[in-house]
Amino acid sequence: MRAIVISGVVILCFLISYLVPLNDAISDDTKACLRCHGMKTLQKALDSGGSLSLYIDGNKFEKSVHGAMDCSSCHPDITLKNHPKPKKITDRKVYIKEFSKNCLNCHPQDSLMKPKVHGEVVKKGEVFCSECHGSHYITSMKDWKKKASFSEYCLTCHQSNITKTLPSKEKISLKVNESEIKKSVHAKFQCLVCHDDFSKVNHPIYNYKDKNQYRKEMTRICTKCHTDKELQKNPAHYALTKTTSCIECHGYHGVKPTKVAKTLPENQYCLNCHSRPISMKMKNGETLSVQVKETDILNSVHKKLKCTECHKEFSTTQHPVRSFESVANYRAKAKDVCNNCHQDAVKKYDISIHAEALKKGNQQSPDCLKCHDYHKVVLITKDKSASSELCVKCHNESGRAFKESVHQKAINDGKQNAPTCASCHNSHDVLAANIAQLGNSCVKCHKDVKTSHNKWLWNPPVKLTTFVDAHFNSASCAACHTTVNKAIYLTLFDRAKKKPLTESEVAKIFGVDPKEVKGKIDYNNDGKIQEQELWQFMSSVKAKAKANLSGRIDVINSNDAHKIEPKSKAIKDCAACHDPSASFAAKIEINREGGKAVKFDLERSAINSAYAIPNIKDFYVLGLTKIKILDILFFIALLGGVAVPVGHLTLRILTAPIRRKRREGK
Amino acid sequence: MKKIYLHPLPVRIWHWINALGFIILIITGAQIRFAENMGIMSFETAVDVHSWLGFILLANYFIWLLYYLFTGKLFKIYIPPFWRPVEFIKNSIRQAKYYGYGIMVGDKNPHHPTPEHKFNPMQQISYLMIMVLLIPLQIITGLMLWDPQLFSSIISLIGGIQIATLIHTGLWIFFSAFIIVHFYLATLGHTPMAHIKAMFTGYEEEHEEH
Repeated sequence: MRAIVISGVVILCFLISYLVPLNDAISDDTKACLRCHGMKTLQKALDSGGSLSLYIDGNKFEKSVHGAMDCSSCHPDITLKNHPKPKKITDRKVYIKEFSKNCLNCHPQDSLMKPKVHGEVVKKGEVFCSECHGSHYITSMKDWKKKASFSEYCLTCHQSNITKTLPSKEKISLKVNESEIKKSVHAKFQCLVCHDDFSKVNHPIYNYKDKNQYRKEMTRICTKCHTDKELQKNPAHYALTKTTSCIECHGYHGVKPTKVAKTLPENQYCLNCHSRPISMKMKNGETLSVQVKETDILNSVHKKLKCTECHKEFSTTQHPVRSFESVANYRAKAKDVCNNCHQDAVKKYDISIHAEALKKGNQQSPDCLKCHDYHKVVLITKDKSASSELCVKCHNESGRAFKESVHQKAINDGKQNAPTCASCHNSHDVLAANIAQLGNSCVKCHKDVKTSHNKWLWNPPVKLTTFVDAHFNSASCAACHTTVNKAIYLTLFDRAKKKPLTESEVAKIFGVDPKEVKGKIDYNNDGKIQEQELWQFMSSVKAKAKANLSGRIDVINSNDAHKIEPKSKAIKDCAACHDPSASFAAKIEINREGGKAVKFDLERSAINSAYAIPNIKDFYVLGLTKIKILDILFFIALLGGVAVPVGHLTLRILTAPIRRKRREGK
Repeated sequence: MKKIYLHPLPVRIWHWINALGFIILIITGAQIRFAENMGIMSFETAVDVHSWLGFILLANYFIWLLYYLFTGKLFKIYIPPFWRPVEFIKNSIRQAKYYGYGIMVGDKNPHHPTPEHKFNPMQQISYLMIMVLLIPLQIITGLMLWDPQLFSSIISLIGGIQIATLIHTGLWIFFSAFIIVHFYLATLGHTPMAHIKAMFTGYEEEHEEH
C-alpha cells in the first residue's frame, strides 16, 4: 500500500515538474532530479520525529561551487532507476554524518587534514562537512572568507557542538551561543576583540593541561581591558580576581554587568558571588572553597539568619579582604563566628581534649565546623545513630565496641533514653577518659545506681552509700560491667594542681623532649616498667613536683569500656578484685595534652612493694594491692610471739631445780 | 592466802569480750589478707565478721573507757608516776629482772597488786600505750578502711589510705604477737591458772609467801 502511495506521488511530481522552469546550465541529470526535488513541499519524515526538507533551490545550486556537477556525483547511490527507494533516516545528525562521507570522494581526507584546526575537527568527527559548509549551496571558500564578518566566520564552526578534551580528561565546550553574546555587555564586540590571537587566516591551537588553567588563561583575556588598576577600585573584587577566574562569576560569552543590585535581600546579595565555585588562597598556598550552597543554608538551623549575623564584618557595603596563614588558621578563627551566639558551647569546647589536640597540631581533631559544618549547620542531637557516627568516624574502635553493648541494643530497640557518645563523654567539653569522671555520666541515667549497689555492696553494721562511692572512685563502671580483661591503672598525678601530670610537664622536669619521656621511665627499654624503674622515676619526678600515682581498676583496652554488658553479666563477686591472686595486669599512664594518655606495662609486683606507700598514697585495694613485706613481718611476729613464751618456759623448766632447792632452803 | 578484788565486773566483761573479739579480728584479718591461701571462710564473710566485731570492740572500748573515767581509776592504774621517774625506772628494771632472771631462781615478784596499783611498772607502761594509743589508733584506722569515703578527710589528714592501711596492718601484726605473749604472761601467776581465774572471778589470790 505504502509503495503504491509513494509511486503515485513520484509520478505526480514528474508530471508537474514539466511545468517548473529549469535553468539550462544545469545538467540533464540534475534537471531530472529537480523535477521532484524542486518542489518546496517535498520532505521526508524522520524516525526520530520531525522532517527533513528534500527541496533544492536549482538557481542557488547552480551558483554554488558544485553547480556544474551532477547530483549523482555526490549521491552515487541514487539513480533514476533505483529511486525513489524508501530510505529510512533515523535523524538529521545521522543523515548528515552518512551524507558527509560522500564529500570525501572528491576531497580526500589528506587534503582536509592540512589546515591544522580543520584537521582536528575532521579527526574528532564531532562536526561533519555539511554542518559548516552547507550541502547544496556551497560557495567558494575564498569568496566566503572575504565576505564573512569576523564573528560570522568564527561562528560557522563554533556554533556547532564542538568540544576539546584536555590532557586532564576534562572536556570543554567550544560552542558559542550567538544569542548569548547579543544579550551580553559585549554584544557589539566581534570575536577578535577578545580573541585577538585569532584571525581568518590564523587559528592557533592551545593545549591547556586542565580546565583550571584554561579558565585562568581566559581570565587573562579580560585583564586586557579590565586592568588591575581599574579592578583595585573594589578591593574585595580585586582579591577575588587573584584566586578565581573572571568567568566563574561573569560567564564566558554572555558577560553580565558587574554591578549587583544592593537592594537585593542581603543573602541573595552575598550569594551572587558565593554561590559560585570561588575559593580563597591562603598564605601557605592552600586554597579554601568559599562557595556557599543556598540549599545548605535553607536546610540548616540557621535558615532564618542573615549572612552578616555570623559574618559580622561583612555587609552589602563592606567586604574586608582578609588573609590567613593556612586553612587551619582560618578554621581556628571560624570558631569566633560561632562564639558570637554559642558562648557556652565554645567555652566548653575550649577545655576539651579536642581543642587541645587541635592546638597541638592534630588536624584530624574536630572543631565546630567538623561536626556542625560551615553553612549546613544541623542540630546533632536528633538522630542518635547519626550523632554517634560523627565520633565513630575517628574513634572507630570504640564505635565497634559500642555496637556490642547493651546501650547499642537500647538504641536499636528505639529507647528514647538510650545513650549516644555525647551522653557520657559530653558533646563539647570532651575530656580525657581518665579525668572525665565518666562514672558520673553513668549515674546521670542510672539514677538509683548507688542505692541499688548498696543493697549488696556495704560493710556491716550500717548500709552507707559512701561505701559504694569508695568503690566507684577506685574502679570504673566498665571494670565490673564488661567481661573483658582488667588492669590496675596508675596515673601520674600532680597533687598540687589536682590533675594528672602531663607528658610535656614530665619532659620539662627532666629537661628533655616529650618523646624522650618513655626513656626516662623505661630506661632499660624493654617495653615494661620494672619496680626499680618506677620508683627511680617517681623519685626524680617528686624532686621537682608534688607528684604521686593515682590508681583505679579499669579495662585494659579503653575501647572495651564501651562493651557494657547486661546487668545479669556484671561482676558481683568481691574476691574478683580483692583476692591477691586475681589476674589483673598493671599499667602506668601519663596523660598527654590533646591526646590519649601514654600507657606503659608495669610489673604487677611494683604495686605490692613498700615503695607504693609513699608513691600511691590514695589508692589501696584490700588484698589486691597489699604490701607484701607486711605479710613477712606478720609471720616473723607470730614466730616471735611464740618463741618468747617457749624460750621463757624452757628456761623456767630448766631452772626448776634451782627454785626447788631454794624453797627447800638448800 | 588472801584474796584481792582486782578486776571489777565491767572490766572483766570488757576484757573477755575484747579477748574473744581480738582473736577473731586477727583471724578474719588474716583471712581478708590471705584470701588466696586461707579457706576458713569466704572473703565476704570475713569482711562482714571483721566489720561487725570491729564495731562491737569499738563499743566495748567505751565500756572500759567510761568505767575507768567515771571511777577515776584510769589515772591511778594506768598512768606511770612520771613525777618520780627514777623510782619508776628502777622499779621497771627490777620487774624486768624478775621476769628475766628472778622468776627462774625463785625470787619473789617485786610487784604486789592492789586494786589501786593493779599493774607492775612494765604492765603499766604497756597497757597505757595499748589502751590509750594503739587500740584507738586501730579503731580509727579500722573505720577508715571500713568506709574510706566517709572518713576521707581523716585519711587525707594522715597522708592517704596507704598510711591508714599500714598502721592498721602494722598493729594487726603487733597484736597478733602480743596476744600470744599476753596469754603466756597470764600463766605466770602463783599457779598457771591463777591470773586467768582472777579474770573470771575478779579475785586475785595473793599467795601467803608473798
